[in-house]
Amino acid sequence: MAFPTIYPSARNYEAGDWPVRPYQTLSGAEVRIRYGNRRSNAKLSLSYENIADTEAEQFLSHYNETNGTFYTFSVPAAVYAGWAGSPNALSPGSSGAAYRYAGPPQITALPCGKSTVKVELIGVT
Amino acid sequence: MAKTYTGRDGSLLLNGTTQLKVSDWSLQGELELLDTTTLGQCERTYAPGIQTFTGSANLLYYKDDAGRNDASTFLRSVIKTSEVTETDKVQLTLRLSDGGVNSDITFNAFISSVSIGATVGDISRAQISFQVTGMPTTVTI
Repeated sequence: MAFPTIYPSARNYEAGDWPVRPYQTLSGAEVRIRYGNRRSNAKLSLSYENIADTEAEQFLSHYNETNGTFYTFSVPAAVYAGWAGSPNALSPGSSGAAYRYAGPPQITALPCGKSTVKVELIGVT
Repeated sequence: MAKTYTGRDGSLLLNGTTQLKVSDWSLQGELELLDTTTLGQCERTYAPGIQTFTGSANLLYYKDDAGRNDASTFLRSVIKTSEVTETDKVQLTLRLSDGGVNSDITFNAFISSVSIGATVGDISRAQISFQVTGMPTTVTI
């Protein structure tokens, strides 16, 4: 089962970074060493407000299918709805990167068969 | 036949009994809307949520020849020496009559507030507010 094709009501993207470690020398100068040439650790937070319970269930099914935070997956174009730029700009990282769950989906049950779901994804290479 | 309803056509029934000396009643219905707008939409969309019905009424503090005082019945549903329980739930009917044709809203409710006072040069009235529990059981309005 693919990541649910549902339009989010809010999206927050954090671009991640290259693997860089700073060192401070005795003189006080900072030296930064880049240990890789791929950006990773991008964070994508998605919020789905007032969706049907059956739609919320799709996130739980997908979470089970990916063995929680174990397997990576791609996200559908619906995740980038409302973004006028290239979807690649919100990618999980450099070429070859994919998203995995950063934690379990948070589901808040609402009256009348509605739920609000919050999903946190993290980009890994 | 055309009909304009006025206060003369209105009545309030408590557990099926028409109440004495009701000077006014009102009912408000509200629908909570859940925002279902998603990214990419430029106009808000909604889904229906919880419905709420509240109302109020004013009764003269009046005792008839037989000693019946309906305002007192309402007052004692909140002002009492023991706690309010589920058995204090009442069935109210708000009615507008056109001869033998009644336009009713019937529902179960809790009396949520009452007040009574005495003022020089004025009639004593009981003001009650009620909160509907569940959906109305009859709506022919």
